[in-house]
Order: sequence, then structure tokens, then C-alpha cells
Amino acid sequence: MAIDLSRPTRRQLIKTAALGGVATLAMPAYLRAQAPAIKVGIIQPVTGALAQDGEFGRMGAEMALNEINAAGGIKSMGGARLEMVFGDARSNPEAGTQEVEKLQAEGVCAIVGGFASPICLAATQAAARYNLPYIVDVGVSDQIISRGLTNTFRFAPGFGMVTGVALDNLVKLNDAAGKPAKTVVLVHEDGLFGSGLAKLMQTELPKRGFEILETIAHPTPARDMSNVALRIRSLNPDLVIPSSYYGEFVLLARTMQQQRIRPKGIYAVLNGAASNFRFVKEFPEAAANVMDCNHWYDPRNTKAQELKKQVEAQGKVFAYNVPLNYSCVKLLADAIERAGSADRAKVTEALAASTFKDHIMPYGPTKFVNGQNTGAAPVNTQVQNGDIKVIFPDAFADAKPVFPVQG
Amino acid sequence: MTGRALMPILVAALLIGAIPLFVSANTVLNFLVFTLIIALAAQGWNILGGYGGQFSFGHAAFFGTGAYAAAILQSRFGINAWAAFAIGIAAGAAIGWIIGYLSFRSGLRGSYFALVTLAFAEVFRILANASAITGGAAGLLVKLDVRPENFQFASRAVFVWIALALVVAVLVLTAWIERSRFGAQLVAVRENEGAAKALGVDTLKVKLTAIALSAGVTAAAGALYVQYFLYIDANIAYGTWISVEALLAPIIGGAGTVLGPLVGAVTLHGLGEITKTLAGRVPGIDLVAFGALLIVAVAFAPDGIIGLARRLRARIGGGGGA
Repeated sequence: MAIDLSRPTRRQLIKTAALGGVATLAMPAYLRAQAPAIKVGIIQPVTGALAQDGEFGRMGAEMALNEINAAGGIKSMGGARLEMVFGDARSNPEAGTQEVEKLQAEGVCAIVGGFASPICLAATQAAARYNLPYIVDVGVSDQIISRGLTNTFRFAPGFGMVTGVALDNLVKLNDAAGKPAKTVVLVHEDGLFGSGLAKLMQTELPKRGFEILETIAHPTPARDMSNVALRIRSLNPDLVIPSSYYGEFVLLARTMQQQRIRPKGIYAVLNGAASNFRFVKEFPEAAANVMDCNHWYDPRNTKAQELKKQVEAQGKVFAYNVPLNYSCVKLLADAIERAGSADRAKVTEALAASTFKDHIMPYGPTKFVNGQNTGAAPVNTQVQNGDIKVIFPDAFADAKPVFPVQG
Repeated sequence: MTGRALMPILVAALLIGAIPLFVSANTVLNFLVFTLIIALAAQGWNILGGYGGQFSFGHAAFFGTGAYAAAILQSRFGINAWAAFAIGIAAGAAIGWIIGYLSFRSGLRGSYFALVTLAFAEVFRILANASAITGGAAGLLVKLDVRPENFQFASRAVFVWIALALVVAVLVLTAWIERSRFGAQLVAVRENEGAAKALGVDTLKVKLTAIALSAGVTAAAGALYVQYFLYIDANIAYGTWISVEALLAPIIGGAGTVLGPLVGAVTLHGLGEITKTLAGRVPGIDLVAFGALLIVAVAFAPDGIIGLARRLRARIGGGGGA
């Protein structure tokens, strides 16, 4: 179904034409030679419930922009610098929409970010009104790319892709260890990630030979996970599969450690903490051997290692949002470079045809199909000796899985 | 209704309605639409809380019902968006009446009523978050198909006018209530329910009418939210944020006054937006301004901005004023 939002109004056309005309006439030749800055919109929730993730995302985007500028900007446009215009999505979709309007008014050529699915859904739609290219950084809801919006691109894997890989790798992991795990308890937060994931696991795990003993839902925020931990103890499952946000999972892992509840494995999917260096640093014992299937950087990539050092030198945490947003901005810069223009239609076209490889994610070459990067893939990580290691897939792994945890 | 009562409404309508004619920046228009949606929700709260003295902490229950009804009817049953909008309002009013019947029949007042409404909103949130028809936690998307018959417009200005038309309609309704027999009874219930009953006021009926009206208006805000953002999930629809917004705006603006909710919503969000523009580099500065304004308003203007204006006018004019 074609949605015609592209048709500019007469007023817009006249305005653009007039501006263009005035600009060309007014600019002296020596100024014209100096390429003007290209404005790039970055939207992240840096206040509200998602502020921590938003800050990570902003940091990644900023690092990429600085690096591109330091390396001479966009060469096909005479070394034009990329200028960040930042919008705070305040952890809700209305603010996300408002920020898109603001960035549009500022004249950005594209937007990167969003983080949470509801923000991404609203913001991409608002950007679609102006044919403004939008690169979603995280937003895993598959609804984001199923609406036929031609301006919307998602660089990272979506929900369906992550869960599919997570299930396959769980079976692989279990088979390789001689099938020690048979019973599972699902713990999930009752929001978008958790509920959707639990539902999927409930249908998919039994098909793969696992028995689900119980599914335990908890709200976000939850301030006490003792009951959940005690329930897990009495059920005594081989595997615990938690899908929760940062605070709740940290609480659960700590409570389980205190109560000495030790399943053969904790296998998280898209977990907020299981692959977070802060958790590993603050609670090394609780975090030990926790596995996760999530967004992650390519640990073998030297650029990624360098970036990680830079971030850690500032005393900050190298969460997956940093390399992901870094790569998204690089992807955009590559598209602008190839388009040779900051024109939206041309940038969109260049993004759609992108084969971008210079990212630091464990992905293949970029290839967008209906806005989704089919080269993207999640990886499995495990906390080992106070560090987060990639255990699957083999092409990117820097450690062997430790499973089952209690022989 | 006298011309004098309608004059301020007309002025407010013309002032806001003229903005899209002079300002084409979508940033401003988008801000206006959202503020008007909040104002509408707050006007709903004001009928029950401001005039009736029944403080609800759970107007999200009505906002969400309106929103979900509009979204579900469109996306699952293919019903026309305008019809879905109307049904959404009716559904909200019905839910309001039911909650009112259950709690007022049990004689719940004051903080007990507030707690019950809060609980209802939370129950709805959890149900909406879990059931399949509301799309669970993934929420519902209304299909993007920009055509007037779908209640979707390419221009944000049209939305400003539609939201404004609804706000003005409720302003007129509130002004009418203020002068009607029903309004007098409602205020009597607020001031002293026992005395009102002794005078022969059917307090249950008055309160039920008020909550149904109130819920219908807030449901309209919810349905409008869906038409504008085309996405709804349990936390947006039934989250506490909207309950708080719906009661903050009248408290700041002046509860139990016709223009209070609109003035409150515009002041709160306007101030937030202005601080954000002036001090945009500091994240969350608008929320600080929001909080400061609330403290100042509660401390120095217990009757809200409208009440403060009246007091000032009375002082300057040496008496008079309402």
C-alpha cells in the first residue's frame, strides 16, 4: 500500500526553492567552496526511566560523529562536517514525536536513535511525514519495520530474529554438553519484552524438548524478588530464563546468589543486565556464568576494542548501546558519503542500497530488506571471570561456553 | 447562558485557533495538539473533581478506555475511525458510570474514592497489558493511512482545530453546568453532601451523571491521543502519568472553574517547553520547572491561576470578583 507523505506542499516547495536561490546568490564564492555542516539528528531518552540507556546511546553517536569529523568529514561533499542536533525523548513516545518535529525544524538530514520500541514507533512515523530517513538503533519490536515506512531502517536485529537465534543456540549449547538441562522456569517482566518473549518460549521450548515448570511474571519496577527466588528454589529447574530490565534482573541474580539457588544455567534473552559491565563490576559473584542473547559488539574488531578502552578511560560503561549507535551513525555517514548529498531522498536511497561493512558489530555486510538489516544478528554472551565473553556464534566468539555451571 | 459567560471561552478559542494560521512550525503545532489533549483530559477530571469534589486519582481508566476502544474498533474490526471515536467516548462514559455506581453506592468518599479509582486504573492497566485483544504489552498500532475519512490528516493544523473544537465544546458544557440546576446540585454535593441530601438532592444520581460526563470527556482525550499518535500500549493508556496530568492541570489552573484546566495545561506544558528551549542542554530541566511551579501554585495559589487572578482583580478593583 502506497502512503503518499512525500508530496511536498506548495508552500514548502516555494520556501525551499526561495531559500536555495537566495543561498546560492548570497554566498560569495569562497564561502561556497567551504562545505557547510550537515545536521544529523540524534534522539535518545536521557531523562526518565530509560535515561541510563539513552546516555549510552548518545555517547556512542557522539563518538562516531567526532571521529568522522576528525577524519575530514564527508569527503564527497568537500569535507563537510557532521553536526549533532540532539533531542531528548524523555522515555515516552509523545516526547519522541515532539523531538522529531524539533529536529525537522532544525533541518537535519536524518535521525538516528530512539532506543525503546514505543519511542521508535512514534518517532519513525513522525519522521515519515517529512520523508526524513530514520535509523532505529535498538527498538526490537518487529512492528517498527512492518508498516511499510520507506524512511525507516533498523540496523540491529529485531525481536523475531533475536529469539530465533536464542532458541537455536540454547539447543546447540545443551546438546554439546550432553543435554543436562531439561526443565525450565521462565521469569519475565510484564511489559513488551518480557511478556512477548515468555509467550514465545512457552510455545517453542516444549517443541525443542524442554519442560516449562512455571512462568513467573513480575512488574517493572519491582523492589523485591525474594518470592520469585523462593519459587525457583522450590521448583529446582535446570535452567532459568529471565527477561527483565536492569534493576529487576540484578535483584533476582543477587537474591538467587544469597539464597544459594544455583541452576545449571541462567540463560537470559534480551536482558537488561546480563550483558552489562556495570552489573558484572558491581556484583561479580551474582553475575558469574550468566548467559545472554543480546545485541553486542564484535570483540575481535580492533576498532571496537579501542572504543571500549576510550569509554572505560572516562570511567563509563561500555554497554551495547555505545557500539550500536556508533555503528548506526557510521552507517548514516557512509550513506551520505555515497549519496554525495544531504538530500533526504538521496540519503534514503543510499541507505536502502547500503552494503556498509565498516561497523563494529558482529554482523555481516549490511543489506536492508523492507528496512530491516538482514546482515544483523545477536550473539550469545557469558559472564566469565569478571568479563563478558562472546560464546556464540563461533565466527565472533572469544571464549568457550561454561555449561552446565554446576557439574 | 449569558454572553458574559461565553466571552472568555470565545477569546481563548480565537487565540489558540489563530495560532496555526500564523505559525507553520510543526514543533509548535505538535506541542499545541498534545497540550490540548491533556487539557481535554483535565477538563474531564474538573467536572467530577473540581465541581463535584470527588477527587479521582484514576482518570487513566477513562482515558485508556477511550483510547483502546478507538484503536481496537479500527484495527481489529475495521470500523470507521470517526465512528470508533464516538464509540470510544461512549465506552469511557459507560466505564465511568460503572466505576461510579460501584464506589458511590458503597458510600466511598474522599481518599477512599481516590484510592478505588487508582485501583481501577491499575487493574485495567494490568489487564490491558496481558490480554490478546489489546495487543498485550506490545500495544496496538492504528494503520497509518492519511485520509480525512480515517481521522488522519497530513497537516497538524487540522488536528489543532479538532482538539480545540473538543476543548471548546467542553468549555461550553462546563459553563452550562456551572449555571444549571445540575451544576448547583453538584457543587452542593461537593460542599456538604449530607446537607445536600437533606435538601432533597438525589446525590447518587448527581454524582453518577458527573462521573459519566467526566469519564466521557477524558475518554475523548484518549481517543484523540490514539488518532494523533496512532499507537497505544497499556502504560500510555492506563498509566498513572495521565491520571496525574489530568488532576495537575486543574489544580494549577483552578479546580472548579471553567477555564482552569485549559489554563493549567497550557501553563504547565508551555513552561516546560520554554525552559527546555532556554536551557536545552540540561536534560530534565523542564521537569524541574514543572515541579517548582507545582510547589509555588500549591503554596501561594491554592485556588489555582484562575483563583489567583480573581483575588488580584478583587484586590485591585477594591472588591467585586467572584
